Amino acid sequence: MNKFISHESAVKHVTGESVYVDDIPVDERLLTGHVVYSNHAHARIKSFDLTAAKKLPGVHAVLCFKDIPGENQMGPVIRDEPCLAEKEVNFIGQAIFLIAGESEEICRQAEQKIKINYEVQPTILTIDESIKAKNLLGPERKINCGNIEIALKECDQVIIGEFNTGAQEHWYLETQACLCLPGEKNEIMAFSSTQHPTETQTLIAEVLGILRNEVVVEVRRMGGAFGGKETQANHTACWAALLCQATGQPVKIRLFRDDDQKMTGKRHPFLIKYKAGFSNQGILSALKFELNSNGGAVADLSFAIMERAMFHVDNAYYIPNLSVIGKVWKTNLPPNTALRGFGAPQAIVAIENIIDRIARVLNRDAATIRKNNFYGIKTRNKSHYGQEVERNHLHTLYNKITRSSQYWKRRSDINQFNKEHNFIKKGIALSPVKFGISFTTSFLNQAGALVHIYQDGSVLVNHGGTEMGQGLHTKILQIAAAEFGVSPDRIKISATNTSKVPNTSATAASTGSDLNGMAVKNAIDTIKNRLAGFVSAQFQKENKLKVVNPKQILFKDNFIIHKDLPKLRVSFDEVVKSAYLAQISMSATGYYRTPHLNWDKEIGSGRPFNYYAFGMAVSEVMLDVLTGYHKILRTDILHDVGDSINPHIDIGQIQGGFIQGLGWCTTEECKWDKEGHLLNHSPDTYKIPAVSDIPEDFRVELLQNKPNPNAIRKSKAVGEPPLMLAISVWLAIKDAISAIFDHKKEPILPVPATNENILLSIKNLRQ
Amino acid sequence: MHRAPTHNALCAFSPIPILQFGQININPYFPVRSMKQVISMSTKISFVLDGKIASIDFNREKRYTPTTTVLNYLRSLPNHKGTKEGCAEGDCGACTVVLGELGHDRKIHYKAVDSCLVFLPMLHGKQLITIENLKSPDDTLHPVQQAMVDTHGSQCGFCTPGVVMSLFALYKSAIKPTRLNIEEALSGNLCRCTGYVPIIEAAEKACVKKKKDHFSGNEKTVSKLLQKIKRNSLSLKTGNQNYFCPKSVNESLQLRKKYPNTLIICGATDIALRVTKNYEKLPEIIDLSFISALQGISHKKNSTEIMAGTTLSEIKRYANNRFLALHKMLTVFGSDQIRNLATIGGNIATASPIGDIAPLLMAYHAKIVLVSKKKKRRLAIEDFITGYRKTACRKNELISAVIIPHPKKDTQIKFYKFSKRKDLDISTVSGGFYLELAKENKVKSIKLAFGGMALFTRRAYKTEKFLEGFEWSFKKVEQAGTILEKEFRPISDARAGAEGRILAAQNLLLKFWSETRVD
Repeated sequence: MNKFISHESAVKHVTGESVYVDDIPVDERLLTGHVVYSNHAHARIKSFDLTAAKKLPGVHAVLCFKDIPGENQMGPVIRDEPCLAEKEVNFIGQAIFLIAGESEEICRQAEQKIKINYEVQPTILTIDESIKAKNLLGPERKINCGNIEIALKECDQVIIGEFNTGAQEHWYLETQACLCLPGEKNEIMAFSSTQHPTETQTLIAEVLGILRNEVVVEVRRMGGAFGGKETQANHTACWAALLCQATGQPVKIRLFRDDDQKMTGKRHPFLIKYKAGFSNQGILSALKFELNSNGGAVADLSFAIMERAMFHVDNAYYIPNLSVIGKVWKTNLPPNTALRGFGAPQAIVAIENIIDRIARVLNRDAATIRKNNFYGIKTRNKSHYGQEVERNHLHTLYNKITRSSQYWKRRSDINQFNKEHNFIKKGIALSPVKFGISFTTSFLNQAGALVHIYQDGSVLVNHGGTEMGQGLHTKILQIAAAEFGVSPDRIKISATNTSKVPNTSATAASTGSDLNGMAVKNAIDTIKNRLAGFVSAQFQKENKLKVVNPKQILFKDNFIIHKDLPKLRVSFDEVVKSAYLAQISMSATGYYRTPHLNWDKEIGSGRPFNYYAFGMAVSEVMLDVLTGYHKILRTDILHDVGDSINPHIDIGQIQGGFIQGLGWCTTEECKWDKEGHLLNHSPDTYKIPAVSDIPEDFRVELLQNKPNPNAIRKSKAVGEPPLMLAISVWLAIKDAISAIFDHKKEPILPVPATNENILLSIKNLRQ
Repeated sequence: MHRAPTHNALCAFSPIPILQFGQININPYFPVRSMKQVISMSTKISFVLDGKIASIDFNREKRYTPTTTVLNYLRSLPNHKGTKEGCAEGDCGACTVVLGELGHDRKIHYKAVDSCLVFLPMLHGKQLITIENLKSPDDTLHPVQQAMVDTHGSQCGFCTPGVVMSLFALYKSAIKPTRLNIEEALSGNLCRCTGYVPIIEAAEKACVKKKKDHFSGNEKTVSKLLQKIKRNSLSLKTGNQNYFCPKSVNESLQLRKKYPNTLIICGATDIALRVTKNYEKLPEIIDLSFISALQGISHKKNSTEIMAGTTLSEIKRYANNRFLALHKMLTVFGSDQIRNLATIGGNIATASPIGDIAPLLMAYHAKIVLVSKKKKRRLAIEDFITGYRKTACRKNELISAVIIPHPKKDTQIKFYKFSKRKDLDISTVSGGFYLELAKENKVKSIKLAFGGMALFTRRAYKTEKFLEGFEWSFKKVEQAGTILEKEFRPISDARAGAEGRILAAQNLLLKFWSETRVD
């Protein structure tokens, strides 16, 4: 396989030719869709008047919940989310009315003419407020192993604490967007920037009250998604579809940046309470966690996210007695949702903070404590939910990265530096990640594909996965080329389309290439079997051989070849032509489901993951004690992607994921005022990492020679796991703060470690 | 929001040695011109796009108004969808385009700008280059495009056109970029996918060893086209909106008299947000960015005069090795795309409570020159800023220049900024500090000016007084922090809490001490 091809859209990207939803040419009948949303976090809608807005010239429709022909519902899992608010609004940014007009300006004028009479209700915004009000979004969940209470009593030392992590905005460059075109009668065609075309199709059908076979959803590519378009792209799509159906004209909604940030959910803020028991040697024996997340006003994916958080409180460590409770709290904020890592980052930073604390209590280096607690290879290798940690690369990674990063030498250099400097301190930290790959809702682990060969020998591959920049289509293209034994330029990956491949899962949970790659391979195998049968019969006939077994037929270098008699070869193109004449089908569907998964929510045990991905990072920072500024001097990453299908793409995912995690750990901060207005609703005040924020010296390597037997072409998923390696930076900052006090005091530092939070943390330690 | 009304203008002059301005304009404020010229104003704008002169007559073309942004204009065209909107406030750079401007040296100078912040009239007389123009006519990718492909510099591709345009501007600039130059050139482009590593690599690959591209080959043709465009005053009246681009200070003052409530812009990187974010109509605008007499920097005997319409990019270039604190401040002010538009006059006219420039100008003992038809007056910057977004500029006046006295020997001027992110972030707290030490390490004179701590940028007079005459020691400066704390009542907002702001201000003072102490 050619592993080193460029992103299949690279040339289109750099020339501006790649088409996103807002770039699709539409005729002059196109209307602009506009969403009128609540400006109150919690209020009753006593009355409203749309008359004046409807009368405004250029306005084609003004819709409220009463105008929804189908079901007023767009919750993806739990059906608790109205498409348009009825009697009550529960967060600022909740959609109430929809306007279709001839221009953006007309829509805004119409919005000014809408009168709403609210009765403002008390709001709950934070986890603490929600806990006080006992405002759970749903039942709490538990996973237990061993005997936590006894273990806590029997261990040498116990630490207790609380830990906060903040919200994170996805900040996909392309905001939520959908263009709907009306077809015949009920038909609707939606070009949506969605990670989950099937769910978008489902919800459009439901709100419109039509069958799913009337709705086609197509996704060429997204301008970034990161989980933010897993469920919440559905909203924009449903709204555009309603307006399209109501007006009979094409309608496009593209959210403005500020509206997008205000209306859509974020990474869940967590409040984590813990009790950890360990030996004087620093071996963890007991961990008791209470995970509290701010779910927002409705469920969205909060429970699945909490579940993944609960699965990852161990991160890389064997903890024989572990109890974790997960509680999702309801608040008057937009529903928080999937974001790369899906609950795992919050859980992992919590356990890493605990290890860091233990190291400080014992006056040992945290890297050693980490290593001593890693899952074992043959013993100490069962997770708290009962899954064995197979093919554990943690020890290999640790040995390699401590060497390649010269961790111990740098640690002592840093200690020396810190002795000599008062206002500048350095810090270093190593952090691992072990990330479970699979949707934890087991049935979602399925995928479909549809592959055609045309008579000129070109191949069109359709699959259920969506392209959001992660290079899925490129990898699929490589897989298809390798399976067919043809050059990649023969293959085209079509836009993802629900009429080509139905009933798909979201492109999420890092499973895109695992699931769809297998489904595509399955379709190709079907076609290859037909062609191999046809070719072997031909070889037999033309060469008067006794028997040619189709299994002896190879697809290689644009030829179809007899394995044992390589002189018997015929070009792929010729075979295609003659197979068509011989009335052989060159189109097939493919399907895949991940085998051997089982997970029993009720008893909290099973095998939820197909395999684990591992990675490790060492980061060094320099902190200006007076301003809280920090510079990442160097980051080393060694990451496990199995046999990489495309090393450039995988390294890109690692670098990009790390930097996105860095934003969550350092500069990205969401604040709300007392009324529930998001204060950081644009990049003016919401700061994702810029070019100068990346490590000065950034070394990323892939772990070599560790094939993964459980996935396509022995590869591993890579989308989410590297994000959590950025925790090494957060820990290094903490180490630098701790150095001010000669590592004798435990810094209390939340995520994100903004320079403000760093200064406050230092101030608290001084007092 | 941030930044400065500014002019975009005539960086036609940027490559010319700055002193020329002083030589050309003996009386820059009142060039001898007949007032009849004001009457013969043009109602349409012309610029070069896709190798041709494109014109917009606002009286005929109802789709656009003078405050339509270049981004929205481009996206309304069928073949320019490559330019993307990511934020509509100049913070993400997805809409970056490059403006080619004819210099006095008859060469075209290329500058990256955020097209979401540029009003259409600002294009007048310039070449607008978009991502669609970069490929050669034979379909070969431009070296910066090819490098981005080779280094895997795009993932989702949405920020990519903007990134490529910034790289293109870097490619066309005179510099052989270092890593720092590359970071500066890209600080206005956010990418959420790649982590920037391959983009930096692409810049190194393409921009370190530059070759001629098809723009160099075409330069003469484009120059001729640009010369065809008449550079007269513009009076763009559309019924709902009057947008004036006068060519002289005199003309501007006349217009100001006629339209006393007119909004004055010069770069408009701040004012543009009132259109893109608040959807304001802005009925009357005078755009000073076409007045060459308001541009340039001149070195005088004891001071340097910066004309109000000089862009921050030009000032940054000039300040390098001359005004260190000013240069340092400008490197963390906005981005290249912003600095190429924003002007110093525009910035101080906003009297933003945060402004980085104003506190530093206080430290420099700078004076603001205000000009009216009858007279010219100079005000200390402290007296110029009178309140929250209020200045001493009268309705018959314009800001014409900023005068920075050359710092005396043995004085120290420093700038510090506390913000969430290093680049392209408005200060949470900024500090412009001045120190003159007498013998025995005693403070002879000190100025401590802060942004982000009050309704307007102002000095910490009580803290200054507390320190004056005393030893410049850690202990004393630490004590001064308690005075500082009482002197300001900062707010809590999206950027930081009040406690964090106080702490930051105190620490910036300590930092100043740590960098100026005499051991």
